[in-house]
Amino acid sequence: MNNRRMLNKTDFEDFVDSLLRAGITVIAPVRREQGGEKVEYRPIHSPAEIVLSGQPPVRPLKEVVFPPTEPLFNWKQTKASVQIEEVPTEFKETVVVGARPCDAAALEIVDKVMGWDYRDELWFGRRQAVTVLSLACPQSDDSCFCTAVGLSPESTRGADWFMSSVDGGFEIEILTPKGEKLLERCKDRCRETKGRTNAMPSLDAKVRANLNIDPGKVREWLEKHFDDPLWSDVALRCHGCGACAFVCPTCHCFDIVDELDGIGRGQRRRNWDACQPALFTLHGSGHNPRKDQTARFRQRIMHKFNIYPARFGEVLCTGCGRCIRACAAGMDLISILSEIDRKSAEEGA
Amino acid sequence: MSDLFEPNIVAFVCNWCTYTGADLAGTSRLTMAPNVRIIRLPCTGRIDTLFILKAFERGADGVIVSGCHPADCHYTAGNYHARRRFAVFRELMEFAGIDPQRVTFSWVSASEGGKWAEVVNNATEQVRRLGPFQKYPSPAAHAGEIACKS
Amino acid sequence: MQELRDLAKKLLLDKQVNAILGYEWDRRGARPAFITEAGDCDRLVFDHRCVQNLAAYLSPRRANIAQLGRLAVVIKACDARAVAGLIRENQLKREDLVLIGVRCGGVVVNPSDSEQLNAENIAPRCVGCEQREPTLADHLVGETQSAPVGKANRDLRLSEIEKLNPEERLSLWTSLLSQCTRCYACRQVCPMCFCERCIADKTQPAWIESSPHSRGNFSWHLTRALHLAGRCVDCGECERACPAGIPLGLLNHKVARIVASRYGYAVSDDPSRETPIGSYRLDDEQEFIA
Repeated sequence: MNNRRMLNKTDFEDFVDSLLRAGITVIAPVRREQGGEKVEYRPIHSPAEIVLSGQPPVRPLKEVVFPPTEPLFNWKQTKASVQIEEVPTEFKETVVVGARPCDAAALEIVDKVMGWDYRDELWFGRRQAVTVLSLACPQSDDSCFCTAVGLSPESTRGADWFMSSVDGGFEIEILTPKGEKLLERCKDRCRETKGRTNAMPSLDAKVRANLNIDPGKVREWLEKHFDDPLWSDVALRCHGCGACAFVCPTCHCFDIVDELDGIGRGQRRRNWDACQPALFTLHGSGHNPRKDQTARFRQRIMHKFNIYPARFGEVLCTGCGRCIRACAAGMDLISILSEIDRKSAEEGA
Repeated sequence: MSDLFEPNIVAFVCNWCTYTGADLAGTSRLTMAPNVRIIRLPCTGRIDTLFILKAFERGADGVIVSGCHPADCHYTAGNYHARRRFAVFRELMEFAGIDPQRVTFSWVSASEGGKWAEVVNNATEQVRRLGPFQKYPSPAAHAGEIACKS
Repeated sequence: MQELRDLAKKLLLDKQVNAILGYEWDRRGARPAFITEAGDCDRLVFDHRCVQNLAAYLSPRRANIAQLGRLAVVIKACDARAVAGLIRENQLKREDLVLIGVRCGGVVVNPSDSEQLNAENIAPRCVGCEQREPTLADHLVGETQSAPVGKANRDLRLSEIEKLNPEERLSLWTSLLSQCTRCYACRQVCPMCFCERCIADKTQPAWIESSPHSRGNFSWHLTRALHLAGRCVDCGECERACPAGIPLGLLNHKVARIVASRYGYAVSDDPSRETPIGSYRLDDEQEFIA
């Protein structure tokens, strides 16, 4: 038995349908309720809703395992005592169908920080519950640069199944024990197949044309250029919102707040946070160590391309291009990285 | 009586007119619905529209906002400023789906104890008819996240 | 275009300003440009893809931009209303700025949209816009433009929502706003959102819950729209910037219609014009007050 299977389109839809009927949550790219062509990862009710072609979902897969807001515990106050009620850390079995390779890879990259100095129970609780079926990327645009950060439109990283569209259906590569367990549910529908046929022309060359850099060289340059005119130049444009961080599949900063639900009871929640707004580093004293947008924007690039690689051995970016698509001010990570690459080559020569 | 829905109503009132008017209603031993909790503020000009939203967030079914009649403001113009803000907020709120019948605006002077009792009774009746405000947005789980096992 | 570039060059060479804030092309359409050298002025462009409202960069709280020194800014008529708002609210002094007005016949929705402007792709806010050029400008450049024509009709969308019953409207907005993750792109790109400390960032007490759940989001977006009553310049930047695709412009448009019908107010680029909130008349309508 090898790990490659063939599943035709109707069998695939029947399979998704059987998951839904078995009470398993299925999350897939679907059209926004009021958003025209735009798609998002959302729980589906029928396989017909799934949209596998076109632009990637506007928001990344991370919110499936790391929601924008979630309770950490509930509390209740009675006279002099406070009772704490923990939130469950076991989650419902979920299958993600049609994840983009850049989204699936991001989950594995962020696993490193989530399991570093302490193990984040909520992140890993959901990670354990989810089986990720990613799909060879069907489309790229001028914001894509996965090939520049060591991935590709056919990267299998972070996926339990890797699916490629072929004539009449999907060729599936089973990659993990979780993937094998899911295969049990559709054994009689699929047949074994040999090599990867790769029927769809690869987008690799097209993506490579957007940006072709060596992240190692970028890191070397960043190490030596904490102060560089580049930072003040590019940061002028930045408005300091959190759009880039909130559409980023790898940004994972959060804030913790206490909220009342009524009198004497409430919740401690954790909410997404982003490093571009000034409030992120503002001290109670009024002092802000990252005093302007120049310092804040530098931090974003440093964290992704220098600090994270130093600690975890790889860049905190999968080249999905969402920050570029989302930015209202036209901040363009591709231009910035290629500028750094150019500067680094100039200095190296 | 026990089957009747008893709404929770929060009243934001100004110190100089309506609060004193409400006091007069009490000392005059007027009968009125016990559903209203008063929060006293210096002036209607101090009543931020966020107070109204906060009351709903914390579970109020209705809100009363009341202060000095035009030309009676202790600070000369606080109620005139408030009137514009409330007028715009009320229409915006209605557009967003909060039934304007849940929010009563009134002018009650220090000598209008009877009017205050009327405002309270009318607001209570009105909100009672609408029922509990259960549809106010709640901190429900996000649409895309993996749900807890339960 | 040459007219704009020559003017910018002259302003820099004559040392009238230290920097020009305008538009340039990048890989994906138009983007804001900060030009400090006369030699770089040929990068300046203007057409219907220059959608950004550059007045957002003029807030005195943008320390890194203030450092550039005296600025000349390229403004469309809608952007000029924002500059007027900043002057009116004492954020800017008119004499500290050189305003380069550009004639505008409407813009597309996104700066990366098509090279042709037509009735399909024109930004909905431009349909019905009556101002081809700003009156608040030191210089005026560009060819005469005709009034924009488009199919979008925001008033129609508003009346569709108004026709729903309160419960339907509440569930519509709850569902739309549930998509908000509080990135605050709407606030940051807004030229009129210049507060040192936004009410949404206050924690003691937290008037607006910072959690991006429906309850916190409802409070934030209603308050944002209200705080822009009579101040919103209808530049459409909040809606364009929203990564969740929430039709924020509808809320602003609704509020603009309220202040127009109640107080006869339309936002203008005259800094001396009083705004409806913050002023009053003794005989203001009060039909809703018992």
